[in-house]
Amino acid sequence: MSEDRTSEDTGVWTYAITEDGCLSGPDGDVDLSWLTGVGEAKVRTTSACGLTVLVSDVSLAEFGEAALRENLENLDWLDEVAREHHYVIDAAARLFPLLPVRLATVYSGDDAVWAALSQREGQLRDALHRVGGRVEWGVKAYAAPDAAGGTGEDAERAPALAIADDGADQEPKPPGGAGLAYLRRRRAQLTSARESTMAAVHGAQAVHAELTAKAIGTRLHPPQSAQLSGARQPMLLNAAYLLDTEGSVAFTAAVAGIATAHPELRVELTGPWPPYSFAGEDDDGR
Amino acid sequence: MLTILELLRQLMERQALRRVEDGTVTDEQAERLGYTLMRLEERMGELLDEFGLDPADLNIDLGPLGPLLDS
Repeated sequence: MSEDRTSEDTGVWTYAITEDGCLSGPDGDVDLSWLTGVGEAKVRTTSACGLTVLVSDVSLAEFGEAALRENLENLDWLDEVAREHHYVIDAAARLFPLLPVRLATVYSGDDAVWAALSQREGQLRDALHRVGGRVEWGVKAYAAPDAAGGTGEDAERAPALAIADDGADQEPKPPGGAGLAYLRRRRAQLTSARESTMAAVHGAQAVHAELTAKAIGTRLHPPQSAQLSGARQPMLLNAAYLLDTEGSVAFTAAVAGIATAHPELRVELTGPWPPYSFAGEDDDGR
Repeated sequence: MLTILELLRQLMERQALRRVEDGTVTDEQAERLGYTLMRLEERMGELLDEFGLDPADLNIDLGPLGPLLDS
């Protein structure tokens, strides 16, 4: 099925790796001719060492090394390409077990793909056996807004008072004890904010431990910044869990139960995803 | 600029709370400290209102070090 592409201005975008045998069934080969990928190019396959890679041809003017680096900075471009990449992997993962390839892995041609395959054949096969046919669920936990005491909105502000430029020394005498009361109130706010943050951090650790016990594999990602997550509260857990398709129902039910049991957290579940987080070559599976 | 003011205000507040807890200030001093800090906070609120800002706008994300300001 593979044909040699040597054209100077096209490259090969890779989506996923599978074993040759997975593409042929009793009814003949799996039909992928309907599948289009990045830039609406037709998805095709290329094989070496008993491994088959889903690829499509891309213009190097847009996806060559320098252009790619520039385009990856463009969020609209990235969004569309990521969708197209995900669409191919998601559709194919429903048909046969596969190993997703990281976004924006582009080779100069089929021969470069083959070289990469033969170089890492053992690792790729191991990874494929570990994650093929399995799905990934993402769990994010944030401190719950009301649990995080003083965070965000401070206590109600007293009616405006003008302040003398150089502060404390020239007093309009404060009404009895207002300053002390303020200090006490602030101390209570800070203490309760600190305590609820600690409770949320411990809660997130407990959630992770519970879910880890139910999953085949776990990956912890760095928590996303508020800018990326779009949430006001800090993200305390950003994890991926690897599960069998059959295990998913019990897992999602467990997440729902855990979310209820931890009111100090806001828990977010996404999935099922192709096992993106578990496809790295150097992963140990846990 | 407002971020720096707010950072200073929070630092002064922490310092004041610590000293009150340590008992190294008299009640009268504590009262004055508290009153000053309260008015600083009010003034900061007014400034934010004036510029149409939210307390969260003052914060700076220091990446792996976390946010600059506490709240």
